[in-house]
Amino acid sequence: MERLPSWLRQHLAALRAVVVLTVLLGVIYPLVTTGVAQALFNGKANGSIVQAGGKDVGSAIIGQKFTDKDGNPVKKYFQSRPSAAGDGYDPTSTSASNLGPDDIVDGPNGGQSLLTQVCARSKAIGELAGVSGARPYCTPDGVGAVLKVFPDHAVSVNQACPATPFVATYEGLKVECGKPGEDYAAGRTVPVRGEAGTPAVPADAVTASGSGLDPHISPAYAELQAPRVARERGIALDKVKQLIEANTTGRTFGFMGEPAVNVLELNLSLDKA
Amino acid sequence: MSTPVLEAPGKAPAPKRNGRVGGGLLDPKQLLTSLPDAVKKLNPVTLWRNPVMFIVEIGAVFTTVLAVLEPSFFAWAIVVWLWLTVVFANLAEAVAEGRGKAQAATLRAAKRDTTARRLKSRTSQEWDVVGAPELKQGDFVVVEAGEIIPGDGDVVEGIASVDESAITGESAPVIRESGGDRSAVTGGTKVLSDRIVVEITQKPGESFIDRMIALVEGANRQKTPNEIALNILLAALTIIFLVATATMQPLAIYSKSINLGVPDSLALNANGVTGVVLVSLLVCLIPTTIGALLSAIGIAGMDRLVQRNVLAMSGRAVEAAGDVSTLLLDKTGTITLGNRQASEFVPVAGVTEQELAEAAQLSSLADETPEGRSIVVFAKQHYGLRERQIHGAEWVQFTAQTRMSGVNLGDRQVRKGAATAVMKWARDQGGHPTDEVGHLVDGISGSGGTPLVVAEKGRVLGVIHLKDVVKQGMRERFDEMRRMGIRTVMITGDNPLTAKAIADEAGVDDFLAEATPEDKLTLIRKEQEGGRLVAMTGDGTNDAPALAQADVGVAMNTGTSAAKEAGNMVDLDSNPTKLIEIVEIGKQLLITRGALTTFSIANDIAKYFAIIPAMFAAVYPGLDALNIMRLASPQSAVLSAVVFNAIVIIALIPLALRGVRYRPSSASKLLSRNLYIYGLGGIVAPFLGIKIIDLFIQFLPGMS
Amino acid sequence: MSTTAAGMIFIVSLIVALGLVHKPLGDYMYRVYTTTRHNVVERGVYRLLGVRADAEQSWGVYARSLLAFSVISILVVYGMQRLQDKLPLSLGMKPVTDHIAWNTAISFVTNTNWQAYSGESTMGYLVQMSALAVQNFVSAAVGMAVAIALVRGFARRKADTIGNFWVDLVRGSLRILLPIAFVGALVLVAGGLIQNLSGLHEVTTLTGGTQGITGGPVASQEAIKELGTNGGGFYNANSAHPFENTTNWTNWLEVFLLLVIPFALPRTFGKLVGQVKQGYAILAVMGVIALTSVLLTNVFELGGNATVPQAVGAAMEGKEVRFGVSDSATFAASTTLTSTGAVNSFHDSFTPFGGMMTMFNMMLGEVAPGGVGSGLYGMLILAVITVFVAGLMVGRTPEYLGKKIGAREIKLASLYFLVTPVLVLIGTAFAMGSAEQRASMLNSGPHGLSEVLYAFTSASNNNGSAFAGITVNTPWYDVALGLCMVFGRFLPIVLALALAGSLARQAPVPAGAGTLPTHRPQFVGMVVGVTIILVALTFLPALALGPIAEGLS
Repeated sequence: MERLPSWLRQHLAALRAVVVLTVLLGVIYPLVTTGVAQALFNGKANGSIVQAGGKDVGSAIIGQKFTDKDGNPVKKYFQSRPSAAGDGYDPTSTSASNLGPDDIVDGPNGGQSLLTQVCARSKAIGELAGVSGARPYCTPDGVGAVLKVFPDHAVSVNQACPATPFVATYEGLKVECGKPGEDYAAGRTVPVRGEAGTPAVPADAVTASGSGLDPHISPAYAELQAPRVARERGIALDKVKQLIEANTTGRTFGFMGEPAVNVLELNLSLDKA
Repeated sequence: MSTPVLEAPGKAPAPKRNGRVGGGLLDPKQLLTSLPDAVKKLNPVTLWRNPVMFIVEIGAVFTTVLAVLEPSFFAWAIVVWLWLTVVFANLAEAVAEGRGKAQAATLRAAKRDTTARRLKSRTSQEWDVVGAPELKQGDFVVVEAGEIIPGDGDVVEGIASVDESAITGESAPVIRESGGDRSAVTGGTKVLSDRIVVEITQKPGESFIDRMIALVEGANRQKTPNEIALNILLAALTIIFLVATATMQPLAIYSKSINLGVPDSLALNANGVTGVVLVSLLVCLIPTTIGALLSAIGIAGMDRLVQRNVLAMSGRAVEAAGDVSTLLLDKTGTITLGNRQASEFVPVAGVTEQELAEAAQLSSLADETPEGRSIVVFAKQHYGLRERQIHGAEWVQFTAQTRMSGVNLGDRQVRKGAATAVMKWARDQGGHPTDEVGHLVDGISGSGGTPLVVAEKGRVLGVIHLKDVVKQGMRERFDEMRRMGIRTVMITGDNPLTAKAIADEAGVDDFLAEATPEDKLTLIRKEQEGGRLVAMTGDGTNDAPALAQADVGVAMNTGTSAAKEAGNMVDLDSNPTKLIEIVEIGKQLLITRGALTTFSIANDIAKYFAIIPAMFAAVYPGLDALNIMRLASPQSAVLSAVVFNAIVIIALIPLALRGVRYRPSSASKLLSRNLYIYGLGGIVAPFLGIKIIDLFIQFLPGMS
Repeated sequence: MSTTAAGMIFIVSLIVALGLVHKPLGDYMYRVYTTTRHNVVERGVYRLLGVRADAEQSWGVYARSLLAFSVISILVVYGMQRLQDKLPLSLGMKPVTDHIAWNTAISFVTNTNWQAYSGESTMGYLVQMSALAVQNFVSAAVGMAVAIALVRGFARRKADTIGNFWVDLVRGSLRILLPIAFVGALVLVAGGLIQNLSGLHEVTTLTGGTQGITGGPVASQEAIKELGTNGGGFYNANSAHPFENTTNWTNWLEVFLLLVIPFALPRTFGKLVGQVKQGYAILAVMGVIALTSVLLTNVFELGGNATVPQAVGAAMEGKEVRFGVSDSATFAASTTLTSTGAVNSFHDSFTPFGGMMTMFNMMLGEVAPGGVGSGLYGMLILAVITVFVAGLMVGRTPEYLGKKIGAREIKLASLYFLVTPVLVLIGTAFAMGSAEQRASMLNSGPHGLSEVLYAFTSASNNNGSAFAGITVNTPWYDVALGLCMVFGRFLPIVLALALAGSLARQAPVPAGAGTLPTHRPQFVGMVVGVTIILVALTFLPALALGPIAEGLS
């Protein structure tokens, strides 16, 4: 060892160090942690699996979608937030949408901008809940209210022809519908806020979460869905609200995080009720 | 040194004005006269030494080419101001050097081609005539009244009065004699009387005057450690901004390409930001202000020392002066006036003060020593005893054997002198001095004074208290030093008791008593071991090792050549107190650099706010919100920033030459003050400056 | 309680908690790095390594040991990924593609933990826990070792050595990171994080669909991922994933863990140089910048100022309900202020200025408080540069902690702070200059530019978070970002160690009234100013064309 050139000695020591530390930190540490965790917190360490009718139906802390095979909401269940994980709530493909806050112009070939997605979700959820799905910057037909302004005309770029533009004129310019495939890049982008006030559909209902597995919805969104679920299930609204309450976690110590309703647990307790 | 010619007597800056270091003044005419030199310095071969300005010059060349290819008023305006930026920077350096050159010219006048009478050997009487430049080390020359000393050397034989005004500006002749600490003579000075033999100590062409000329001309000016470090930082900043501007281009092209509807502008087109604007941004961002003034600051720092008749052998020494944390000061001449003076008459019981004063005065009338004179003066001032002419007096001179002096006037015999000697004399005369005298003597010794016992016949009258008189204002200065974080150590040959008393009175932090040259060296080494930088003055040959060891060793011009050789500064006035000023000048030099660096960097904020919206507001109208100065148009914004950037260099030349105002105080206070002025000021000033310039140039053609 | 009020209390509670552990943890780390005693395990480790634990190293040997260790680490991590199908616990995953394997190996060894892959679909458990998580420990320990070595440079007097790399590495891993990570992991499991070695568990959901519930040794990796400011998630969704960050209080704990060592190291620094006040000054600089940044990020996110957040009514895109907007913003700021890069919400969907803050935090050079160790040494370099400018202004050759900042020192410090901006800007410029690389952008317009700028900022500063929309698992990005990570990590480290060596050789200058005091608010303010003006303003042109242009539109 001492007779080897110093650079080689160093690398040999380095190799031994990597091996030794891998054994200590990469084998012993995780295995001991696993052992202790399994002994002390077995349920949680294994993913907080919940059962219905003796069968595992999911994890209490992983959201799932409550839609039928065609992707339509199953109305008797509270619906989760939109998800960008795979086809929705796929734990093997977790993801956020990663769309930017000013992603407001749909792609020329029909790719939806984040704004249009929000508007469309809002409209659909509004219809499902029987409230207005109107939001600022959204057209009544549920796309982003965005104009491309040219010197002599303007285009409601997200409203593909033959749709009627959400406004007829903009600053004296005639507003046209967007011709599919046409490149409007040269125009000045102007989102139009519109008249909509505070939306009836809550924020979390129209946005995808970070993980795509958000097990929660806001109490407001649960509140919005409660009448529908009660109606579908033929149970009293108060009962539903009670269950919402029971499945709501508040802020820990009163200040950490936000109040949240666990959708899977809520739906399970509805099924049990 | 050059002061006698350059500046009329009395015009030379007072060493201290309102408690701060004064500076050289800038004559606006100098700007004009230095202009040709400034233009010459555009030569890239010399300019590349200053990387910041070199980059600006490359930018100027580049934009000139662009302007020729695609002329517009805007482009040419930028070109002109970029060139001006470089010229202004060169001007700063040229002005600083110009002052040195003028001084060098007067020195050269002193360095006439003299001939020398070279002796065959030291003791030989034979000599031959050779030209001064041919003299070598170890040659002996003989110089007589009226002749110019042909080279630097030491007097080995004889004594003469020498006129050194050519280098010191001091018209009073000085005495030079063989042996001791007044043996050094300088080439170019003139012997006024007598004849001396001088051993030449210089190498040919390396005389003191040669070196002075080189120094003030800045010919072999080497960058000082701090200057090198600062240059590195500036180079790094330049690289960073170079990268920042260059890499902006693909981003700009992309931004332009995704905003198809936006027409091309003078600032931005499909190929990205236009060359002219890109160079403008770069020049505005890199630290041109400090880059332009850095060498001028250094030259001016040396110059300020020269104005105080101090020659620094290197810029490094000037910087080190700023870092000094321990000052070794010789007691005599620096802290005290140099002579003991009577300060009190203490009579023994049964004798009045008046009686003692009269006897003391009488005994001293013929005593021409400074101590003796001070007794007469003290008696006059405090006891109203006039000097008198006495006839028939027999004066008894002081001798090393008797260790007393006095007078015999008829049968009246008065003596004064060392206690033991006078007491013995009194006893021999049949007197019986009481123990009281002993107590008085001990008391005075204990307080650091020197007791002189006065006795008449067999009767001891009392004791004269002689004491070292501390120069006025020293305590305040030492307090000031302490606030600056500098420890003062008094060096004296006195015994510890005396030394302590004077140290206490003067307010120095520490003292070294009964100091031998070896002690000094040891003390310096000890301080340096603790990481402190030490400054000291010295003149004797035996000071040479300590001078060499000290970080700042100021040799007195009157001192030996060994001392001058060992030190790294020479004080032509031979005023040891000047050490304190040297320290202040060193600090001022560093502060000026730091302050202008801070100012330069702080300026960038405003320039970003001027240029970024100017470049990109066309593609992203929202960015106009960054145009917080509300500049008239993109063109005028860019041009205003460039103009400001150039003008600020000219505006700061006087400051660079004069140095930032320095008031001795703690580091913390200094920093606060300078931060407010140059940091905060550096942030605010360009906002105002650019706005004001914009208000004017927006009316120029092509600005909208 | 309003969202804003709860969010503010969340921040205050973190400050209080960090304040409480500052002294004990800082003092503990001081003892770890100064004691001369080796415990039984360590003695065994040193024997296996064949190193003499009591022999001190010069900076050159220290640096070479560190580089040797890192090179071998990269090779081992690369090899394990490439051979994962031959290794146990692979879950049937295929070998990782070569360019992703290289990128990932570098990413974890450099403490960046940039992930060009999706954890749940790429890495088996053995690679996760025995390759990646091991680097979570040791890369953090390397960072701390460099910081301690630099501090030794300040503290020592006429010394030729700056410590022993192997000892610093082993002690940092085993005495500091391991115990905290172990306790942290168990607490996280109690909060709901999983810790098992089971494979995918298929379940039939309530509406008859199938869902594969993943497993894995997550908590043990999560704890060290935050504690070591690594940030590489077990899953693609990182700390937004309920299995990585189950509840609003595990969220608090994860933020706390990622901040705790960087904020305690200034104490260790103060103790090592024998002036705790100096440590407080550094802490204050970090604290001021960090708090300002956290608050601004909160302001921007809660303000929700951009078209989509306005339409939505809150900046909820990419955020989890249980965390809410404010705690997500605080997490985002904390993860980018440190070199963590873990995310509990997706920065790409942040408001323009909120997203800009996360970028800006990294552009500051990750010094407030920065990664474990790297934050401290980065901040000390900035302090050195500040001292240089400020020191001149008090009329002396600049000194920091008694050590003169001369030409050599300033050269090393200048090179240090050149490295990352140059990497970020040149990398971004290359990517933006090529249509092919621009195609990786998910978003268009200035936001797309932000994605690229973010990627290079994150890689060069060893953060690892992303504007995750960008597709970076292409060979070009894997190689380019890999190079940024390597240079962004090891060039500064070598420069910092060289500086340590140069400082250690000096005899300190005693402090006096003429010395620039470096423990007063005045100095703290200056360091903050230098950090912002000198470091961050460099990026202003780029930021203007990205998030600022977007935010002001």
